[in-house]
Amino acid sequence: MEKFGNAKQLNRNKFKDYTFLLPSALFLLAFLVYPILYNILLSFKDINIGNLIQGEQPFVGIENYITVLKDPLFGKALVNSLIFTVATIIFSTSIGFALALLFNKSFPGHKWMRSILLIAWMTPIIIIGTVFSWMLSGENGIINEFLLQSGFISQPVYWLTNPNSALISIIIANIWISIPFSMVILLSGLQGLPSGIYEAAKIDGANKIKQFYYITLPLMKPTILVLLMLGVIFTFKVFDLIYIMTGGGPADSTQVIPFLAYQLSFSMYRFGEGAALSNISFFLIGMIAILYLYLIRKEEVM
Amino acid sequence: MRSKKWLFSIVGFLIVAVFLFPIYWMVISSLKPMSEIFGESTLFPKNVTFEAYRNIFIGSDLAIFRHFFNSLIISFGTMIGTICLAAPAAYAIARKNLKGITLFLLFILITQMFPSNMLALPLYTMFAKIGLLNSYLGVIIANMTLSLPFVILIMRTHFLTLPKALEEAAIIDGCSRWGAFLRIILPLARSGILTCAAFSFLLAWGEFLYSLTMLSDNSKWPITLAMRQFVGQFGTNWGELMALSAVSTLPIIIIFIFTQRHIISGIADGSTK
Repeated sequence: MEKFGNAKQLNRNKFKDYTFLLPSALFLLAFLVYPILYNILLSFKDINIGNLIQGEQPFVGIENYITVLKDPLFGKALVNSLIFTVATIIFSTSIGFALALLFNKSFPGHKWMRSILLIAWMTPIIIIGTVFSWMLSGENGIINEFLLQSGFISQPVYWLTNPNSALISIIIANIWISIPFSMVILLSGLQGLPSGIYEAAKIDGANKIKQFYYITLPLMKPTILVLLMLGVIFTFKVFDLIYIMTGGGPADSTQVIPFLAYQLSFSMYRFGEGAALSNISFFLIGMIAILYLYLIRKEEVM
Repeated sequence: MRSKKWLFSIVGFLIVAVFLFPIYWMVISSLKPMSEIFGESTLFPKNVTFEAYRNIFIGSDLAIFRHFFNSLIISFGTMIGTICLAAPAAYAIARKNLKGITLFLLFILITQMFPSNMLALPLYTMFAKIGLLNSYLGVIIANMTLSLPFVILIMRTHFLTLPKALEEAAIIDGCSRWGAFLRIILPLARSGILTCAAFSFLLAWGEFLYSLTMLSDNSKWPITLAMRQFVGQFGTNWGELMALSAVSTLPIIIIFIFTQRHIISGIADGSTK
């Protein structure tokens, strides 16, 4: 097209081309960038239920940050968030990898099998949380029945109301949700691997295990890295599951950063502190995001 | 060799069966009479009953249809808004002939990472000031902040696969860029757009936090938010809760059946490419 128009027309066309971007750009500026900047502003002010919408909002500097960081609940939530995130990622990635390797083979039914697994990932988390609460219920829950009958436990366990088992229970539910996503991402990576290299390795006498360690893993490294980053980003912000399964309890044993930030703002009405905490969590995720972008760019160069 | 393939099929099937057990259990529990829910657990119901479904639809004063309707409005609204904004942007990014487009792409990648709980408070305050609290539109806009960046990324990979020749021919024939986009590109990209539409619909259907913070008026609650109330109201009437869960999952399963192939490649491409 450029070849045919003169320079003036070209400029006008260029200008028109930006109208493709304009709606999205304006939307994201108004409802994403502005709110985030606004949130930073809120975090430096003393805001309660009385002055949130209108009225004087005194500037308090970094006081909100200090209050949040000093709160013993913050430490607890941070540790829980880390355990929750790391455990979810380790298990969902490794199980997802195993499934991806299996479903990458072509056997009768492999296509519908791998897509039906995604139902776990697409069902609303609120519903999955409810179903897991029922399965983990101390009275007549199927998991207890199974463990009792097979002799692993002699007493029913109240999984979600016992501070020792609540976090593990939620992690298990979240691993279940995350596995299909990990599988799909890894599967798309596996499908991009050149098949010739495996033929060559076979001729050279490498067995399946050696092929996995020396060919599959190194070649899959970029995909795995991207998946790990996405996993951290998605898992660190899980909120609904905690809300519906335990509400952060019992005894704060499942309190995590996003849930605490929600509680500070919307049930304790300490809005300034809520804003401060979500900025802290954004900072943590942001560090990971920067790493993610760095890795993606490297991958594109390859 | 053939028998080995069938062995894989059997292993695969067993894995799928074990993995999807929670979904199975949800459906089965919803079909059991109360006595079986609280009796000895059986993998198959001895007596199938629709009592729980009857209870949630007519036996209680929960306005289920109302909540379903709300979910539909919010999900369709999010879907239409996302597609309208994302399609031209994704096209412009895919064609890459604008200055600063890589920067915009980077910006989109970053926005994907904002935790939604970070937006909940400032959006709540903003919407309170402009009167969008307790409105469908407010929740739809909030949902779009989640779906738009991701959908732009998925659509971009889809537009990359379309040949440039057709639109160039149209432009030489006197079509404007927008004309070429609307008449040539969009019809060609139908399947990609459908995938993205399904994706934004599903995302909005399951969304919880924004509805929770923005909708205090329970006649506007979507089904996810109503679930929370049901959990309180039904206590441990798991049969009813599972019936409600199954009913709320149904639209997702239907959409999924029709779009699953595209959704899988969409998720993978949008996240890694």
